[in-house]
Amino acid sequence: MTSPATRMRAPSQKIQTIETDIVIIGGGVAGCMAALGAAEVGARTVICEKGGIIERSGSVAAGVDHFIAILEEGQEWDTPDYLLRHIPAVTEGVTDIETAGRLVYGLKPMVKYLENLGVDFHDPDHDDIPYYRHRAFGLPGEYHINFDGHNFKRAIGHAVRKTRAKVLERVMVSEILMEDGHPRGAVAFHIRHGTVYFILAKAVIVATGDVNRMGRNASGFAFDSWHMPYNTGDGHAMALRIGAKLGNMEFTDCTLTPKGYSTQGLNAFVGGGAYFINALGERFMSKYTPAAERAKRADLVNGVVSELLAGRGPIYCDCTHLPVEEIRKLERTLGVDRPALPIYFQQKKIDLAKEPFEISVGEIATVRAGALFRGSGVDINVDCASNIPGLFAAGDCSSVNAAIAGASVMGQVAGRSAGRYALSQPKPSPVSKEDQERIRDTLYLPLQKEEGLKFNQFEDEVRAIVTGLIGYRRDEKRLREAMRRLNALKEREAEMLAEDYHGVMRVNEARSIRAVAEAVATSATERRETRGGAAHYRIDYPERNDETGLRIVLVEQVDDKLQVSSRPTGIPPTPLSESPIKKENA
Amino acid sequence: MPILIDENTCIDGCTICDYFCPGDIIYREAKDEPPIVKYQDECWYCGACVIHCPVDAVSIVFPPEMLNCKTEVESLVRIPVLDNADPTGSSET
Repeated sequence: MTSPATRMRAPSQKIQTIETDIVIIGGGVAGCMAALGAAEVGARTVICEKGGIIERSGSVAAGVDHFIAILEEGQEWDTPDYLLRHIPAVTEGVTDIETAGRLVYGLKPMVKYLENLGVDFHDPDHDDIPYYRHRAFGLPGEYHINFDGHNFKRAIGHAVRKTRAKVLERVMVSEILMEDGHPRGAVAFHIRHGTVYFILAKAVIVATGDVNRMGRNASGFAFDSWHMPYNTGDGHAMALRIGAKLGNMEFTDCTLTPKGYSTQGLNAFVGGGAYFINALGERFMSKYTPAAERAKRADLVNGVVSELLAGRGPIYCDCTHLPVEEIRKLERTLGVDRPALPIYFQQKKIDLAKEPFEISVGEIATVRAGALFRGSGVDINVDCASNIPGLFAAGDCSSVNAAIAGASVMGQVAGRSAGRYALSQPKPSPVSKEDQERIRDTLYLPLQKEEGLKFNQFEDEVRAIVTGLIGYRRDEKRLREAMRRLNALKEREAEMLAEDYHGVMRVNEARSIRAVAEAVATSATERRETRGGAAHYRIDYPERNDETGLRIVLVEQVDDKLQVSSRPTGIPPTPLSESPIKKENA
Repeated sequence: MPILIDENTCIDGCTICDYFCPGDIIYREAKDEPPIVKYQDECWYCGACVIHCPVDAVSIVFPPEMLNCKTEVESLVRIPVLDNADPTGSSET
């Protein structure tokens, strides 16, 4: 029998060269908004999206139910100045305040912009009011608009189709091409038919989202993750390889989920009035945070981890005290967060009105650095520019973001900035045929192997290290051991095999996940304090330390090794209410 | 098998589940052959294929490991003790 690997052995994949101004890696909200921003300033773009179609790709492809907005409707809190004054509190003093200011001032115009694209921000349950707003995630006002965002991404994708942007779907970028310290484009491949694309460009925007599949979970299924398991830090890893600095990597995220299904839904439960109880039947959350069940996610996770370590598990989520009609409403809400979640509870044969269900701490991931207006990723300035001229980033793969509102605002900023930059640059020089073939053959080496390591075996090793040695509770010794083992694992990357182009994508993803995990461990050694609940809890430095902690930790790759440094946040020491950020950032 | 596609209900030529699956796990390569779930173990259990199928031909079946998970959650958060003889042990703590 001929194995797929044997059939693909001959390096006969087609090579295509495309020339453009900007290559955008990732076609989610940030990537599509970047294409729109670039089109505004007259720059040509190529979007590479490894998912299906840009109307339905990225983390909010299936829908989203909230959007952070400033509308200036008259309430004291409803202004950018007010929100920005509170960003130091929201981020516990650790975020780049100037870049966060750019995001905050972009929020109000973004609502109108998206409405013009066809996004409907009305809440179907509150038809009589233009926007249904509520307070969530520890923000100092009712900034969250609740809406039915099933078609949010479709509207943005449609808008991109109307520009000159070239969209390459089912196409994964495998490396950023460099020339004299600047990006000159990217190499990408089709995950079904294997065509290799050399996209020559003057600027690159990384918009690859968050990083999942990085830690162990209760079900043991790697793709059973809270956020999208197909977001694997490819942008983080490629940026590291070309010398870009990553910021805030030490702050990790996870959620509380029904045991066995890592899913969205925590906010619906706590927002709906559910309690957490331990094995003794006690409500315990107020021991750890004064806001109890209404605290922010990283504090809730911290409370559950603490109870488990104290031997008072299992932990349950209890809705039985709520009125039955409230529970039915809650059940409907769960389907907006994750369409399959109501199906899960049906198949689990559990009636939320009658019995509590056991919960689990979810897998460790790099989602948004444990707080809104911060992110774990490419360290960006007010223009979404990295330290590498010509490399830009936006959304959850960057150091400043705030969910889809942030990805929308900063995606557009990145597109405009990269567009202006690209139009000032000379044409990139072409890649020789010889180099093209060499790069293609290296990319497809995993197809040549008869035996070797499967991507999921490799990833399992990463996940064991992340959960066991980086963990929900950290110390220097275990972090150093995590760094050592993750670095040693790098040597085994070349052993991974693939049976088809889809498999080559997974091999690349596994490499990215390892690289990000190493960056997390490295960054976590440098922050010798505890900050952000479970986002960064050091048992050897259990207190928050504002003497040393009010800095952004940076990781970069120098001579194939990760190095760590830090920089100031730009937040003035005191008083925080007198922020120097002015409206010209808008 | 997390994703089941009812071949009798499925419409010829429709490729919605193939295109909307964010993980590239559902393939419909020939118009007159039903879609196949090529990489079942890479399913996110998001439900995009279920809610977008125009004829309700797709269903999601959660495996026992997810519905009646036996893992002790404490095992995920436990702090392992490193062997002190480990040469990589840091002296900085």
